[in-house]
Amino acid sequence: MTSKVKHLHSLTSIKRERVLPVSGNMLVRRMQKVSPTDVIVVAPMAPEFILLDIAQGLNITPARADELLQRQAGDDLVKGDIIAGPLGIFQRVIRAPEAGQVKIAGEGKVLFEINKAPYELQAGMEGTVTNIIPERGAIIETRGALIQGVWGNGKITYGVIQPVSNDLLQELIPEQLNISFRGTIITAGFCRNPEVLDVAGNIPIKGMILGSMSAGLIPLAKKADYPIMVIDGFGTHPMNRAAEAILVANKDKNVALNAQIYDPFQGSYPEAIITQSTTKDLNPPPESEALKPGKQVIIISGPLASRIGTIERLFPHKRTIPSGISTWTAEVSFKNEESTEVPLTNLEIIKA
Amino acid sequence: MDTTTVQAKSVIATDIGTTITRSLLFDVVSGRYRFIAGGSAPTTAGAPDFDVTEGIWRSLEELQFITGRTLLSEKEGIIIPSTQDSQGADIMVATMSAGNPISVVTVGLLENVSLQHARHLAQTSYSKIIAEISINDRRSATERINLLSRSRPDLIIIAGGTNEGASQSLLSILESIGLSSFMMDENQRPHILYAGNENLQDEVKAGLDKISSLHIVPNIQPVLGKESIFPAQKEINEIYKDVRKKQTGGLRQVLSWTEGNFTSTAFALGRLIRFLSEKYEPEKGVLGVDVGSDATVLAAAFHGQETLRVFSNLGVGGGAAGVLEKSSLEEIKRWLPIKISDNALRDYIYNKSIYPGSLPTEADHLEIELALAKQALLEAARDTIPNLEKQLDSTGTLLPPLEPIIGSGRILTNAPKRYQSLSVLLDGLQPTGVTTLALDQNGLLPGLGAAAEVNPLLAVQVIESNTFLNLGTVIAPTGIARPGTPILRVRVLREDGRNITRDIKYGSLTILPVEMGEKVSLHLRPLHRFDVGMGGPGKSGKVNAVGGAMGIIIDARGRPLQFYPDEEKNRKRNEMWRKTYQKYT
Repeated sequence: MTSKVKHLHSLTSIKRERVLPVSGNMLVRRMQKVSPTDVIVVAPMAPEFILLDIAQGLNITPARADELLQRQAGDDLVKGDIIAGPLGIFQRVIRAPEAGQVKIAGEGKVLFEINKAPYELQAGMEGTVTNIIPERGAIIETRGALIQGVWGNGKITYGVIQPVSNDLLQELIPEQLNISFRGTIITAGFCRNPEVLDVAGNIPIKGMILGSMSAGLIPLAKKADYPIMVIDGFGTHPMNRAAEAILVANKDKNVALNAQIYDPFQGSYPEAIITQSTTKDLNPPPESEALKPGKQVIIISGPLASRIGTIERLFPHKRTIPSGISTWTAEVSFKNEESTEVPLTNLEIIKA
Repeated sequence: MDTTTVQAKSVIATDIGTTITRSLLFDVVSGRYRFIAGGSAPTTAGAPDFDVTEGIWRSLEELQFITGRTLLSEKEGIIIPSTQDSQGADIMVATMSAGNPISVVTVGLLENVSLQHARHLAQTSYSKIIAEISINDRRSATERINLLSRSRPDLIIIAGGTNEGASQSLLSILESIGLSSFMMDENQRPHILYAGNENLQDEVKAGLDKISSLHIVPNIQPVLGKESIFPAQKEINEIYKDVRKKQTGGLRQVLSWTEGNFTSTAFALGRLIRFLSEKYEPEKGVLGVDVGSDATVLAAAFHGQETLRVFSNLGVGGGAAGVLEKSSLEEIKRWLPIKISDNALRDYIYNKSIYPGSLPTEADHLEIELALAKQALLEAARDTIPNLEKQLDSTGTLLPPLEPIIGSGRILTNAPKRYQSLSVLLDGLQPTGVTTLALDQNGLLPGLGAAAEVNPLLAVQVIESNTFLNLGTVIAPTGIARPGTPILRVRVLREDGRNITRDIKYGSLTILPVEMGEKVSLHLRPLHRFDVGMGGPGKSGKVNAVGGAMGIIIDARGRPLQFYPDEEKNRKRNEMWRKTYQKYT
């Protein structure tokens, strides 16, 4: 059976597509070096239109209104520019309500688009633009550490990593947070106390990376002003050892935290990228691999969730697990020489 | 070789589900169509593969291994048509439910009339309504244009007006739709489905045809108070195919393999249930339910009149969190026979949503998933029942008489014990009267539904070959009494004379030990004007029944099932019901 690879790498080649769903203007070129806050493309993501009923405004027929139109589709206007008129003894006119552009004009009406600051899509990571996707975005490549999560609150930032304690297995409690974490991206084992999110917001921190989080905190986490990424899942599991090792080893380094919303059909996962300069020749990691003896795996569900082990053997026949379900399983051993039997569906490969 | 559909024999039916892709092989054995075997593999529509053909290929590899029949060729892909030496298959059909729901904006005149019909139409496919527009929502034309431009839907459904009804109000909304669509990039313009006042069709065509992909169907509300969705439902299925084709890697290849015989899983399920309703007991309807990872589907049909509802984000995998969002933790907990904290339950549900393919390792975790399935079905049934062709009573809260009720979905078919599958259907749907609960244990419903379009004979013959597992005949009296009051006397007359007589008390769950396949005659005498579906309250009657995997079940727990306000009392009662089932298994 093939499994998804959960990306927890201390050093790998990273390639990301950063694109908008609508056409825009490109601000980067191929082979350009970018930092996480550099804007790569701008576009009117939420255009604002006004439908001006010229005929009704001037109290005339649509045909007559068309005769009085002074502008046509494509014309750029500043606030107050005359669109139609003048008419009658009082020289009535219809003026542009804001600066903008006439998009459609005719049949007595004008569709007018107000000039708005366009949406700016940031690079979100340090790296080199290796390809341009015309009018939409770019492909950015870098080398460094990569930690993939399973839940994010949709926000993005760039800052220094600061583990809250020496190991990332413990619960994050409000007492641990103080002014020294101001402007940093803090990392901790797990969080179940809503007060933590409030205190963190008041410091304020720049971002938060957790091994797991109580699902009851989701509404609060969505409202937080800073990005929050959960690496392993919901509950009170300690952070998995591979992610912990990467985060502790990169203390005080800059991390690009993209806590985007997880969508498996779009392939978007929340992730943290720590760019590193290296001359090593690295290939991008595989996205999936066959589960087989010797492979390092992480358990994604059940009482042992977030534990990392090695596949000792795959059972040749379906086996009945404690829930009574019959399924394909593997024996997974841990560093302390204990082992357990896990359904293959509950394993993901890691290549830390 | 000529492979016209009439002459075709072997058929591969592939269903691309959210987590599992399943391929089934049907062929002629001893002159009749039979289900031969099925193979499955994880679906590869999303990350990391983004290509559904990978999952299809792996499921066919398993099917090939199980049957020993060569279906794949490295050089030519899937072998279609079959060769002289019986390699491959003659036809392939495919169904799909994987993928994010298609985004829909519904447009109507009045909130509780045409907008409601438009919602029902959207619910016949895997969709998510992201915005609604009606004349009484007080939005200006400018606001409508901005709403549509920002929401960028895949589909806009326009309903409204009877055929002799209002026209100007609808035309004013159509202008906003046309302008907003025109302002979008050409390749992002939505499909527009017009299902409103037929007198306006020419104007709609003139205004929207050149801007977007316009689909005009007969009015879904031709006269006030009547909903006629079916022709529009077919068109929604075509739109679903087109949207999926653009979004899903490998789907063009699937369309090529199937020569276009591709449909949504829900549409195929609906087609088969409609088909069965014409074949089974004429006075009762047929109900098919699919409890999937992301969505729950209910398809009911009475004499070929179908009601199909797809509840996206209401499932036991990716849709588990959706069940919690649509109901509450308390409502899910009411089904549990175990003690669990609110936090642990909530965490499990959200973890299941992010890891939909994972399996419950512990017995308690399986109980949570069964509870989610019950709640998903309950929510789906609650929304669907008022729109069925037949109603039990004026309240529209209970299912009318149905025969049979067929359940599908991995949570039902993979449940380790048959009582678990049965209890999900029984508690989630709460059928009334006398009915048979059956299990689509091999996941054939969508495949047969898809195949029925090209080869109806195949569907008929496979169904006749006892393809569904009979879980049991259920007798569910309806009425009001105090718990413990005798409400029904049942006599089971067996062919060997070992008759059983039982007095059934209100609030009880009883299983009569009738062997699987054993034919019996049931004499039902309700007391206190309880109704067992024999023609009215208090009416007695005889009915022939066949024992299922769980014998014959008398569910006198009341309809709708009532719960205690006290959590612990509910838990203990669930434990007692579980023990009742377990005694039989």
